[in-house]
Amino acid sequence: MELNKLDVISTFIYNIILYNIPLLYGTVGEIVVEKSGSLNLGVEGIMAVGAIFGYIVGCYTNSLLVGIVTAFAMGALMGLLFAALTVSLQANQNITGLTLTTFGLGVYFFVGNAIKAVRWPVMGDYANIKNGFADLHIPFLSDIPVIGRGLFSHNILVYLGIIIAFAMWYYLNRTTPGLRLRAIGENPGSADSVGINIKRYKYLHICLGCGIMGIGGYYMGLNMSGSFNSACWINGYGWIAVALVIFANWNPAAAILGTFVFGFFNTLRVSGSSLAIAFPEVLGWLAKVPTQLYQALPFIITALVLFFSSISKRKGSGLPAALGLNYFREER
Amino acid sequence: MGFHIVKRDTCPLWKKACFYVAAVLAALVVGGILLFAMGVNPFAYYSRMFTMGMVGNKIAYKAFENYLKVFVPLALTSVALSLAFKMRFWNIGGEGQFILGSVAAAAVALKLGPSLPSAVTLVLMCLAAMLAAGLYGVFVAALKVRFGTNETLLTLMLNYVALYLLIFLGETKADWNFFLQEKSARPVFEDFSALASFPRIMLGKFGLNICVILTFLIGALVFVYLKYTKHGYEISVVGDSAGTAHYAGMKVNAIVLRTVFLSACLIGLAAAFKVGTAGVLSTAITEDVGWTGIIVAWLSQLNTAVIFVVSALISVLHFGSVQAASTFKQVDSSFANMLQGAILFLVLTADFFIRFRIVRNQKGGKQ
Repeated sequence: MELNKLDVISTFIYNIILYNIPLLYGTVGEIVVEKSGSLNLGVEGIMAVGAIFGYIVGCYTNSLLVGIVTAFAMGALMGLLFAALTVSLQANQNITGLTLTTFGLGVYFFVGNAIKAVRWPVMGDYANIKNGFADLHIPFLSDIPVIGRGLFSHNILVYLGIIIAFAMWYYLNRTTPGLRLRAIGENPGSADSVGINIKRYKYLHICLGCGIMGIGGYYMGLNMSGSFNSACWINGYGWIAVALVIFANWNPAAAILGTFVFGFFNTLRVSGSSLAIAFPEVLGWLAKVPTQLYQALPFIITALVLFFSSISKRKGSGLPAALGLNYFREER
Repeated sequence: MGFHIVKRDTCPLWKKACFYVAAVLAALVVGGILLFAMGVNPFAYYSRMFTMGMVGNKIAYKAFENYLKVFVPLALTSVALSLAFKMRFWNIGGEGQFILGSVAAAAVALKLGPSLPSAVTLVLMCLAAMLAAGLYGVFVAALKVRFGTNETLLTLMLNYVALYLLIFLGETKADWNFFLQEKSARPVFEDFSALASFPRIMLGKFGLNICVILTFLIGALVFVYLKYTKHGYEISVVGDSAGTAHYAGMKVNAIVLRTVFLSACLIGLAAAFKVGTAGVLSTAITEDVGWTGIIVAWLSQLNTAVIFVVSALISVLHFGSVQAASTFKQVDSSFANMLQGAILFLVLTADFFIRFRIVRNQKGGKQ
């Protein structure tokens, strides 16, 4: 009995990570984009496009790596579209981003249904994909009771996501290009005046960020075992990622923590009932909470964060000052 | 030798029109190439899509009635959003406001419908929907003017709060939940079409829903409001420069609050029209008009008259692609979303050439 309860806890921790790492990819990608001063509301669509192409190409080549690279490349391509329209052609960022979502979801279903009409690749048939996405056993760490399975026996894309988050934190905060990028996001006019090539920086980082989102989409497809039906794999995670950027205060390392906080509520939705059964006295009430509340919580929390950070006008907010504004050199 | 871009002062109307038409055509060509690659005759597909399957159809009037059901909420929502956008208030919250409006309208229909005459119920539904949506919108505007809260992100978040509230109502069987059918064991939204349904004016077999007339009427009123009234003038000044407006003695905050409230109210009205025509709630009640409306408003350059034309065309795209999908099985109706995206991307590109021109750099520092 005691053992069973520990099992429930370790499964809970395991699920928090397994199901919510795509949020981390989406969030870190969006942070990189937003730090360049561009508000990209197309995360949902970009993840969807990365997902569908990554999954199909990955399966057909029977290689997880090819899948990851394809997902990144397709995400980056969507980023290129966004950058071309907003940076070079001075189009409105909100509109372009929202359209990228509509467009991306359109591409997702169009391509998916077209492939399905011919032959849909089933993940189980591709050994390299299936095994590549399987949980890794790390000697000693994975064997620690409870947290071993919860924290240290995950698939390779989980670790890749965490590594990317730390790498992006280091890149943004400890390197010269990162400093320049942040300068562009704060005040492009000043950055331009000291000779930073704004266009190149924006293009590169929008593509990089969108590529990272694409990998997150691919992860979601794999985690659904690639079963394609009327609901999109991304299922609103792109929007939660936009919210999480704010919650993480534009800090990729904090995004890891934020992912676990949002993931905690997300997972309660799924595992709340099993927790309630395992701990009837303490957590019995969990069974009564409507699942929709858990789904709405990330957005409610973010709305509150937005509200309180605007009241306090606190220093150290990571919100790039020039977020959402296009830079036109001759209009200073 | 290089190039740089400079702003155009003016662009003649015919030139603008040419750019936009070329952009739309280019998007259709891109879509056509895609269709061709899939082994579908693009001309056959497009003709099916643009005629919405009405040619040679004995019940074409039915198809047209259904088309108008798509058109009305989209047109009204787009008009509503354009009001806020004119002030550069980024109301991305159309979805959420629409949802709250439909919930309020449905609540009135279910609670008061049985005891009141249908016409009174319909009016009350409209008022309730407008109030609910309007308050949801003005709440954000109040935070924006008071604390400078980012309205783009906040309205975005509130969309999902409203959406999950709607799903909660749709999936929770409980004694208090009067939105669901009592008899059904599974949660199913209660149908109230018998209690309150917008009347239709019969023109032969074709039934013109009164919502269509009202939508055009409201469109005309908004057009006049923006163009010929003091309020409309204030909105355009605030949109150009809040600083100027303030300097001219305008109460900028009051103008923002008033206009956002009006904008959200009209979205609520669109929701009431939708609910009062469908006769039943659904978790997909918005059919994405909150999102599509943003694109329509922008494609139309926030011009009220153009919004009606563009939303009519976009509705053809959406409604037509569903019709065409029944003939061309291999082309998913999501083709419309892709096409809509491609059109907007190319129109944004055309927009660039309208606003700017590319000039070759000359030696000697002169242009």
